[in-house]
Formats: sequence, C-alpha cells, structure tokens
Amino acid sequence: MDIDILARGLVAGSLYALVAVSFNILYRPTNVFNFAQGELVMLGAMVFASLATVLGWPWYAALIVTLLGVGLLTLLIDVVAVAPVLARSQHGTGWVITTLAASLIIANGVNRIWGPDPIVVRPPAPLTTDTFSLAGMTVSAYQIFLVLLTVILVLAIEQVYRTRQGKAVLAVAEDREAALLRGVNPLRLSRWSFFLGGAFAGLTGVLAAPVLYASTGLGPALLLKGFAAAAVGSIGNNRGALIAGYLIGVTEALGAALLSPGYQEAVVFLLVLCVLLVWPHGLFGRPFARTV
Amino acid sequence: MTMASNAGQAGDLLLSVEDVDVGYGHVGVLEGVTLSVRRGSIAALVGRNGAGKSTLLRAISGLLTPSRGQIVFNGRAISRDKPHAIVGAGLLHVAEGRRLFRSQSVDDNLELGVYGLKMDAAGYQRRLARVFELFPVLEEKRRLPAGALSGGQQQMLAIGQAMMREPVLLMLDEPSLGLSPLLVDQVFAAIMALQQAGTTILLVEQLVERALEIASEAWVLQNGRMIASGPAAQIAASEELRAAYMAAH
Repeated sequence: MDIDILARGLVAGSLYALVAVSFNILYRPTNVFNFAQGELVMLGAMVFASLATVLGWPWYAALIVTLLGVGLLTLLIDVVAVAPVLARSQHGTGWVITTLAASLIIANGVNRIWGPDPIVVRPPAPLTTDTFSLAGMTVSAYQIFLVLLTVILVLAIEQVYRTRQGKAVLAVAEDREAALLRGVNPLRLSRWSFFLGGAFAGLTGVLAAPVLYASTGLGPALLLKGFAAAAVGSIGNNRGALIAGYLIGVTEALGAALLSPGYQEAVVFLLVLCVLLVWPHGLFGRPFARTV
Repeated sequence: MTMASNAGQAGDLLLSVEDVDVGYGHVGVLEGVTLSVRRGSIAALVGRNGAGKSTLLRAISGLLTPSRGQIVFNGRAISRDKPHAIVGAGLLHVAEGRRLFRSQSVDDNLELGVYGLKMDAAGYQRRLARVFELFPVLEEKRRLPAGALSGGQQQMLAIGQAMMREPVLLMLDEPSLGLSPLLVDQVFAAIMALQQAGTTILLVEQLVERALEIASEAWVLQNGRMIASGPAAQIAASEELRAAYMAAH
C-alpha cells in the first residue's frame, strides 16, 4: 500500500476540519447550522483566486479583502435569513431552508460570474506545491504548511473562547436565558460569530485553492464532509472537529486507494454512519449539553 | 413616562409595576398586577405555587413583555426594554434553579457577572473580594466548574454572580429552594448583608415566614392577581392571608 495515502488524507482532512470549525463558530451562540458554509468556502477560493491570480494582487491584500468580503456576506445571511427566523421562534427550524436558500443563491451567483473553469492558485513564496520525498511520502511544502496551520488555527480559535466575549458565547450556548439575565445580548454575539465564522470559511477557501484549484464545484463536497467532521467530532467541539477531520480525510483516501475513487464518498459516509450509530453525539461527548 | 426627580433618595419608589397583564401566548397569567419596591428595602413577594410570582419577575427583567400596563425602574419605563438593557440599568434577576454556566469555572461565572462593564483590574478585584468575603467557599472552589459545586454553593455563586454587577435592585427567586437549614441561614444572612450595604431586594421565597421576618413590605399574589400588600409584619399576622400564600404541604 502506498504511504502517500496518509499525506493526501491529512491534507483533505485539514480542510474538512476547518469547515467543521467554521460550522461550530456559528453554531455555538445560535444553535444554527449555516448550510451555506460550503459555498462560502468556495466563494472564498474564487474571490482569492480572482484577486491573486487573475488581477495579480499581492497575496496578503487578496487575503484581507477575501476574509472581509466573505465575513460581511455571512453577516448579511444572519441579518436576512437567520435572525428574523429565530426572532419569531427561538427553537424553530426555518433556518434549515433559509440557509440552504442562501447557499443556492451564492452557488448560482458565483456560477454566473465566474463560469465553470477552475483557476490555478499558487501558494505565496517560499511555499510551493512542488513535491519532494519525506519519510517515504511524496509531499509538498504547501501540504505540510496546510496541515500545521490547521492545528494552529484550531488552537487559536479555542483561545478566542477564553476571552470575556468568548465566555459569553459559551454561556449563551449553555443557557441562553441565564445569559440574557446577566446582560449578554445574544444578537450581538450571533452577528460577531457569523462574521467570524464566515471569514473562517473564506480563509478555508483560500487555503484549499492551491491544492484543489478554485472552482465553483468545491462547495457541496466541502459542506457535506465538513458537516460530517463536525458531527463525528461532536458539534461545537473544535478539537473534536480537528481529529474527526483527519479521520474522515484518511478514510476517504484509503477508500479511494483500496477500492476505487468511485467508492470514496460511500466509504466516508459509511464510517460517519457507523460512528454516529454507536456515539450519537460524536466521539467527544456532549460538552455543550443543555441542562433543564 | 414617569420621571422621578428625586431618584437616588432612600425611601422613594425604586421599582413600580403598574396595572400589568402578562401571559404566555394567549394564556394570561397575570392580570392588573401592581407592585412597588422602596429604595433600600427588602420586599417579599409571596403566594402559592402557580400564583404567578416567577412570571412577574420574568416580566420585570424583560424575559416576558407585558401586554398592558407599565414597569418603571429608577425613574425609567422598562416594560419594552430588552433583558440586557434592564441588566444594564442595574436590575438583576437571580432566577429559580441556580441558572449557572455549569461547564465554566466559578471564576469564569463571576467574570460573566460583569459582562459588558468597563472596569480596571483593581475595580474588578474589589468586587471579587466583596463576593468572596460574603461567600468564602467560592474562593476555595474558584477553579472548579460551577457544575461541580453543591446546591448551596451554586446558589451562592448565582447570587455572587449578580453581586459582581453591584446591582441597584436584586430580585431573588426561591434562593433557599433545596438547601439544608444551615445553608438557608447563610443565604438569608447574605441577603441581609446585601441590603445593609445598600442593595434593594425583591425576594420570592417559599419559606414565607422567614421572608416576612426580614422584609419590610410584602405583596401577596393569588391566581395571577395581587390580593394584598402592606407592612410585612401585618401580612404575617393575618390569618386570612396565610391561607392565600401557604402552600398546601
């Protein structure tokens, strides 16, 4: 068996973990899954690719504009499609449809503007996607960077929840009404979380672009596998999402290598199904369970 | 809107609930309810289970919006305000059932007590010291998750969390519920200490006799209507009212 599978699995798994974390950022204060998250990752990749590759902007300028742009669009999704639904009923499920609608609108819009051709994105120097051999694996400097950066980003996001605002988000997640009675304004925290979760999705797209190419077809696959990583890692648990992301990425690569690439999705979701049958709340418990 | 020109003077009305109707959806719970609390006092709100005491506190703190009437706090109409704005005005509600953030530490819970307030580290430490002075056990357990505390300690933490904001008015809903007699004494001593330090208190308490001992005025709620009010000693002495607030157990 080819040991490169591990490298491919970890790289893909890193991206799934990042999508899962972006789900969790939005979920914590709102209990809402933003099903537009996959298309936001795709949008991040397309915007960055257009600015950096097509227009030739320096990568940091393209990065800042992409994060702000995708973050603000996600904030708009909250204002237009999520907050009004929750204002009517805090435990309503209308957001399933409204966030899916946002997802379809973004997908259609992006298709209209960019068309189906993928755009090649080069990583910023000195990183390259040129491969070399490391411990028997064929890897590139960018792949190693991506896997390491993912770990750093997950740990950094966890630090956000050690700030007072972050603790307030956790408080809203645990007992919304008790948080209200301590002066927390959940709407404001939701808005910030949507902006941050959106910018994080945009960043995921930027990071994915050099390995997957920027194309309008990125969204659905990242949405499903990112969601699977969030579920397997226990919803709301970012470290869980990281490990689950790797697990799913490696399983997918194994499935493709051992069976055939045509079966890789089936193998992934068979794994997800088995895990969730045995541990309905994911592998890492239920740290944000509500107490009544 | 009523504007109190002498806001801040002891003895004036700090909170007044004026002819308020409150319900959940189309189900009315409170009808034409009136209540007032004098600045610096302890007021007791008594009544049987289901009389609407918690509903009234929830309306005052903005979790429910009255369909009629108005609520004035510190000279300002608050009946349409959001809960965080009411907290910001200095009205704190310690809800029934020790609603803490159980997965977060005692320290983090106390820190959330000052959420949204700007203060320097010294000011924060001073407030923290006041809470630990009243409830020393919280200092010993400050690194533990709130969920690991005993029932009595959780109640102390809930009160301490509200104290961190140095409230003008503190509403306590059933602070003695489920506590051993010794802990009940501690909680009552803490309530009196808070009042002596200048905090006005509105107390809902199943131990009615004890509540009436420390309160100056009392309000009696029955089936969603305020049926009596007056000096706590008078309410306590009335055999007729006793039937209205004593739970049948």
